[in-house]
Amino acid sequence: MDFDFTVITSHARFLGSGIVVTLLLSILSGLSSLAVGFVVALARLYGPRGLKPLVVLYIDSMRAIPVLVVLVWTFFALPIVTGITMPPFWAALIGLTVHLAAYVAEIVRSGVESVRPGQTRAAMALGMSRAQAVRRIVMPQALVRMLPAFGSLLSITIKDTAIASVIAVGELMRQSETLAGQSFQPIEVFSFAMLVYFLMLFPVTRGVDALYRRVAHLGRS
Amino acid sequence: MTLDWGVVWQHRDALVRATGTTILLTIATMVIALPCGIIVAMLRLYAWKPIRALATAYVELFRNLPLILVVFWAFYVLPILTGLGLSPLATGLTALALNVTAYNAETFRAGINSIRRGQLDAAMALGMSRAQALRRIILPQASRRILPVLASTWVSLFKDTSLVSVMAVTELAYVAMQIRAQTFRVLEMLTAMAAIYWLLGYPQAKLVDWIQRRFAVTE
Repeated sequence: MDFDFTVITSHARFLGSGIVVTLLLSILSGLSSLAVGFVVALARLYGPRGLKPLVVLYIDSMRAIPVLVVLVWTFFALPIVTGITMPPFWAALIGLTVHLAAYVAEIVRSGVESVRPGQTRAAMALGMSRAQAVRRIVMPQALVRMLPAFGSLLSITIKDTAIASVIAVGELMRQSETLAGQSFQPIEVFSFAMLVYFLMLFPVTRGVDALYRRVAHLGRS
Repeated sequence: MTLDWGVVWQHRDALVRATGTTILLTIATMVIALPCGIIVAMLRLYAWKPIRALATAYVELFRNLPLILVVFWAFYVLPILTGLGLSPLATGLTALALNVTAYNAETFRAGINSIRRGQLDAAMALGMSRAQALRRIILPQASRRILPVLASTWVSLFKDTSLVSVMAVTELAYVAMQIRAQTFRVLEMLTAMAAIYWLLGYPQAKLVDWIQRRFAVTE
């Protein structure tokens, strides 16, 4: 069995553009799901009573449906409903955000609930409003406790962007698939893709662990 | 926009069979990945050092790769490496099992490590062998902490089986998308696919919540 890794170097640009799209999609969907997830969690925790069952239904539905299904539905079916056709990248960004925001919301909720209610009561007894108590007392402790979960969610986000290849987003997985098909050298191409994904993901998981060990004491109460 | 939901009912047989394959794939993967996960965890904890390093490398590699890449890799590379011509279903099963075994191994290792070392020392001081202490003292306590994690791995696995659709395993996602392509009823079929996953997955997610409350560890 002969291996010829020149297929990688001669298509460095093609694969490189895939890596850039993977990183871009990871960062953007990570940020947007963080923002949406926080809003969803706050709506669940402090929102009006009628809103809560809807939010819970959304979160649990996203835990029940595969990302692949969400992405395929967003790309192929959503344009039929709305009449607006989206490029694959935007469909992937929206689909990933809708899916991951549910996980963010769960992390935020359990982080906030891990801060004992006595602390909120104490803050309010000292004359703070509820919003002040949440902002100054609860959130600073809760955020530190959420960090490890956000870290693993970041690595899940990067891994989930690979599923966007199914709706033809030109990220690393898609580019590798295309190149493997054209060059008839799947072993070399997929091994390279494995190496790149591992090099992206391993530092993320390890880095978050190390960061958390440094700040964990801030979340103690 | 005219919708024709009859198309879903027309293809009910194919959809039911595909749903069966999805469930079967989930069960078969877990049946393989549970014992394999225990073995890998044991190798990581108690084996000879080079073996331990190898087990760690395996777990770290597969936990840090997108599953869809593992599926492609298994499809294109396994036949060349092993010389075996596996069916798409068997290849998909292999890819899923490789992935879930790594996660299970990490779950078992963390569960066993979460039992304080003093308990093992105490058991051995009472004259138990290491294997006895593990079986009678450590594992019964660790399993309570492991079960909720395994339950949520199960739900992830159920969802991840959809990824083997990229190499024509006739499970739910693949079959639904095939029917979509043949009938051009895109919205109907994709919504039906999502609904079936939801109907099956929602109770599982709720069950996981219940297990997590029931087996919560309070120290």
